[in-house]
Amino acid sequence: MSTATKEPGVIRALRDLPSNLWSSIFRNPLPSNDLERSSTSFTNFFLHIHPVKVHKNTLRPIYTLGLGLISLFLFLILIVTGVLLMFYYVPSTTQAYDRMLDLRGTVAFGIFLRNMHRWSAHGMVAVVFLHLCRVFFTGAYKKPREFNWVIGVVLLLLTLFMSFTGYLLPWDQLAFWAITVGTSIAAYAPLIGKEIQFVLLGDATVGQEALLRFYVLHVAVLPSLLVLMIAIHFWRIRKDGGLSRPERPAAEVVKVRVEAAATKRTFGLQGFVRGPFTKVGNVPDESVFSWPNLLLAELFVFVLTLSVILVLSLLFNAPLEEPVNVMHPPNPAKAPWYFLGLQEMVSYSAFWGGVGVPGIMVGLLILVPYLDRTAHGVGRWFARERLLANTIFLTMVVLNVIFIIIGTFFRGPNWDFVSPF
Amino acid sequence: MPVTQKQVEEPVGRRRILLWLSSVGLFGSAVLSAVSNLVFIKPRATYGQPTRFSIGKPDDFPSGTRISLDVKRVCVVRDGNKLAAISTTCTHLGCIVGISDTGFACPCHGSRYDQDGNVTGGPAPKPLPWYKVSLAPNGEVEVDKGIQVPPGTYLNV
Ligand code: HEM
Ligand code: FES
Repeated sequence: MSTATKEPGVIRALRDLPSNLWSSIFRNPLPSNDLERSSTSFTNFFLHIHPVKVHKNTLRPIYTLGLGLISLFLFLILIVTGVLLMFYYVPSTTQAYDRMLDLRGTVAFGIFLRNMHRWSAHGMVAVVFLHLCRVFFTGAYKKPREFNWVIGVVLLLLTLFMSFTGYLLPWDQLAFWAITVGTSIAAYAPLIGKEIQFVLLGDATVGQEALLRFYVLHVAVLPSLLVLMIAIHFWRIRKDGGLSRPERPAAEVVKVRVEAAATKRTFGLQGFVRGPFTKVGNVPDESVFSWPNLLLAELFVFVLTLSVILVLSLLFNAPLEEPVNVMHPPNPAKAPWYFLGLQEMVSYSAFWGGVGVPGIMVGLLILVPYLDRTAHGVGRWFARERLLANTIFLTMVVLNVIFIIIGTFFRGPNWDFVSPF
Repeated sequence: MPVTQKQVEEPVGRRRILLWLSSVGLFGSAVLSAVSNLVFIKPRATYGQPTRFSIGKPDDFPSGTRISLDVKRVCVVRDGNKLAAISTTCTHLGCIVGISDTGFACPCHGSRYDQDGNVTGGPAPKPLPWYKVSLAPNGEVEVDKGIQVPPGTYLNV
């Protein structure tokens, strides 16, 4: 009020309201210099997960194939569409199936949301697995990223469990028999198998109790765990020094060219990772600002993921079979495709196919970074030094894929061998 | 300042004890709550079907028939005046087996059983169990899925 202007304060406040409001929310103008570019990353809640600068290698699409990001975006799509579906779904054996029909028939965009949810779920299983393969083939699980690999395996298991629990919810024939078979597999686990099955189902057979339990797991327990684990996963990526990249020959290491701005405290050293690699000034030549480089890349991947899911959901409807008939399993009764490898193995031996082999596989998977202690071949696809490890891993993957293909295409009624041609 | 003096004298001992006590408390309550949660989610009563149920008069099952009561998951076998109930829950992974020419066949992973429920093929690890059958006072046949009997045990009606 004491300023020279004759304008009453209120008027001025009103006139400046939009810009004041804006600048109170976004602390920075759209960045036009490096200082501002770094501020954007660490003063914005949603952006501060990014480091201020990232190594160029991180942005090479050919290195990560964006698979981790795609997993994340699929998960986000699943949350949004899933919450919307919850407005109509009732976890009751008498209502669930009708609600599916309602989604198809009467709910606006119901069928579309269900399609998006279903295709994203299938996509997430596939993409998370491919992401795991990428991490393996680039040797990215090696020190110091061992623990993040373990978190990753947990994420994979959670993802599978999410889709397994979601499978029961439509309460159609596919759902009922897939879960009957799946939970019986659990019963083959040594010692506590029967207990696990009973607690999972809340009863001796698949019924109302099981539906309610699977619903709670699917919409509350597992998603919360996934969110928590993903948060740790991302935190670790930063603290492990950003993404892995090829080790540089010692001679090539560029001597630190300290940024002039380093004297200005406002430049925000906290924006840099305290990891073994991206210390400030350590690799200034090969890093670029996250804003806009990384953000644009992420935006692109997001738009791409969303478009693919939208197009798929427009073109194909999520399957819904006959309502549950506890008396007649469909013949053959097949699990979702990513469990068909398991089902094929289970048709040889329930214990080994359902518990033994998968258990050993998961155990080995978790131990990978602790068994392979060599430091070479990180940051490149199929590095020659990693020929042995990659071959073993590839064999496992191919075997799994073969089992899935047999289970999917070569098994007919009574699980007899049939030719798809 | 007496307080600082005291802290200088024995700061470690007291803090250690406090730390120890609170760790035990924290750990203890974590274990307790984990256990009680487990106990909580394990149902004490189930709403499923009773294990003992009546399947009707013996005459409902003419001699020489094998009738599968799918809801109850048993197959009633009548041979002359002998009657028995064989489970139709596949011992592999719990699908319902269908009646086939040679006995039973499972649609899920191809297990096969003979007329008496012995495994003749596929991944099933055990034969189909036989259940106790008895005549109730009202003349109806009762099956008790809680009690298994050796295969070949028939009820004379
Ligand atoms: C819900 C599932 C998952 C999500 C959302 C996720 C997300 C991500 C993202 C966004 C990245 C950044 C790099 C990239 O995009 O490739 C990443 C890196 C990484 N992920 Fe995952 N991930 C998941 C599952 C897994 C699994 C199953 C594994 C392996 C067992 C794994 C291990 C790793 C490792 C070790 C890195 C660091 C790679 C490097 O430094 O090059 N993640 N993850
Ligand atoms: S459940 Fe019958 S063969 Fe697997």
